[in-house]
Amino acid sequence: MKDFNLILSGIFFTLAASFGGLLISSEVQLGSLGRAPAEEGGPLFPPIETGLAIQGRQVYLELGCVTCHTQQVRPAGQGNDIAKGYGPRPTVARDYVLQTELLLGNHRNGPDLANYGARAKSDDEIHGHLRSPAAGSTMPAYHFLYVVDKNGITQPTERAQALVAYLKSLRIDYNSPEAKLKQ
Amino acid sequence: MSQDYHRQAPSSPSDTGSALPVRLFFASALGWLMISSVLGLIVSLKLQTPTFMAGCEWFTYGRLEVLQRNAFTYGWIANAIFGVNLWIMSALARFEFKDSWLAVGGWLGWNLALTLGLGAIFLGHLNGYVLLEMPKEVAPALFISFLFAALWPSVAFIRRPTGHVFVSQWYIIGASFVFPVAFGITQLLVLWYPTSGVLQALIHSWFIQNIQLLWIGASAISATYYFISKESGRTISAYYLATVGFWTYFLFAGWTAPASLLGGPIPVWIQSVGVTTALMMLVPAIILGINFFGTLSYSRGFAYAWNNTTLRFVLVGMVSFAVSSALNIVFSTRSLNAVVRFTDFTVGQQQLVNYGFVSMVFFGAAYYILPRVTGSFWPSAKLVHLHFWSCVIGGLGLALHLLICGYPTVNSGVMSYYYIPVIFFVLLQLVGHLAFAINSCVMLFASARNTNDNPHA
Repeated sequence: MKDFNLILSGIFFTLAASFGGLLISSEVQLGSLGRAPAEEGGPLFPPIETGLAIQGRQVYLELGCVTCHTQQVRPAGQGNDIAKGYGPRPTVARDYVLQTELLLGNHRNGPDLANYGARAKSDDEIHGHLRSPAAGSTMPAYHFLYVVDKNGITQPTERAQALVAYLKSLRIDYNSPEAKLKQ
Repeated sequence: MSQDYHRQAPSSPSDTGSALPVRLFFASALGWLMISSVLGLIVSLKLQTPTFMAGCEWFTYGRLEVLQRNAFTYGWIANAIFGVNLWIMSALARFEFKDSWLAVGGWLGWNLALTLGLGAIFLGHLNGYVLLEMPKEVAPALFISFLFAALWPSVAFIRRPTGHVFVSQWYIIGASFVFPVAFGITQLLVLWYPTSGVLQALIHSWFIQNIQLLWIGASAISATYYFISKESGRTISAYYLATVGFWTYFLFAGWTAPASLLGGPIPVWIQSVGVTTALMMLVPAIILGINFFGTLSYSRGFAYAWNNTTLRFVLVGMVSFAVSSALNIVFSTRSLNAVVRFTDFTVGQQQLVNYGFVSMVFFGAAYYILPRVTGSFWPSAKLVHLHFWSCVIGGLGLALHLLICGYPTVNSGVMSYYYIPVIFFVLLQLVGHLAFAINSCVMLFASARNTNDNPHA
């Protein structure tokens, strides 16, 4: 094995094989996936993000939240995500078809957020958590997302409001053709 | 025979043309190593005490952790790869490097682009994909700089005056080719012209496996082959298997990507392909183990390795490689992966590979190469020992702590004392890196000193 072209050709083949076998075949299977109704004639899911939520997604990225939080719920038998209450069903490929930048995450210092919007009770609760996380949590407080007005009352900045809108938009509590909610 | 050629291979490149770029690559690698070590300490302190430096957005945990990872990978490891690969290939191919200014240009471009990219992350311009966090506008500069900095080993191979080839050269050629291809394709399909939905996750996992195994891993394997043979003065054991090991390693590595997405929102058949090929990585792992450990398994071979500074580091790297390969294979199975996925256990696996194996091998390589490119002796043997023991206890201690205790952090809630050993081990690594940096800086920048220490360690 002394010929440079032979070595390079072989390496190119190994790369091309994995690229073609995994990625091109996946594109063939999933490339045309689109939104779908939960039931015939019903609204299409996943829902389109609001403008504020799109801005909030940018804040989520800027703060590096994806470092500690995933947005994927594994099926029962492949981890205990559903038993922990992270979501009512596993996430499927269709849930992400509208996302131009996927924020699946690969490590959890905090809980999964795929269905956080359905778990959170109110905006105030989310703001409270961002301002002052529960004792024992490894999450830092994001004081810089809040300002104190002239009356001494803490108010969320526009970025905080956008972030909360984004977090509330994270929901998988709808039926998907590939993953139905348990009745 | 290639083995015989290798036994007679020169101890240093046949000219001094490669000395300057190799020195520069090591100097910048050291700088980034120190930066990433300090960032690592801050990050671990923030995990223990989330209020630490929490008032300023720039020092948010999410950003600093990303900065640390990128400084370590694209700063320390990448620069070390450039330097070690160039030096080894120049030595093996007896390459007369006449255009070293091109490699210096690549060094300058790479480190400037990296500085800009990390600065952008610090200011909040980051992406959500591991090792693709730097803004996409920086990618073309990194890509072009890589071509200038890292393709010289291939030129050296093509222009070598002899027909002989050693196994290290295959891995270096492979590593030099894989990075620009995988990096370019992934940048285009994930950041510049993003594919839809989960396809991005698949492409990203393919990128990570190629970078981890076929660029970083292959470069460290190349250096391991070179130094165990060169420093022990022996031919590689069962050399005839090395070809099979090389091709199976490169063939299977890219396919293992879906094994890092088990349970995720991708088709099950793709996950099964990932698990199957991850198990098939047992073949190259066994062959590499036979080649590495077999070469040193002669009478008193391991004792000799322990008493040789370069081989001592490489030996720790070999053990880490064996353990991490076994763990990666075993924990790619669905049932075990389901337990440890998303936990600090996987961080421990990464620590074992990137630090226990890759970094330790490159530390060993530095102890061999730097005296030869500077014409100086290592100033202090005590600092060498401090470096070794701090890194072994700190680096491997951290890996073991995360592997053993990392699982309960997510499954049973975070224990208040869990991060204290992390801080201790990270601090110990910082001490070791500081010792290494002081020793190296004296060699690289100060006037040459002669001490009683053996320059070949």
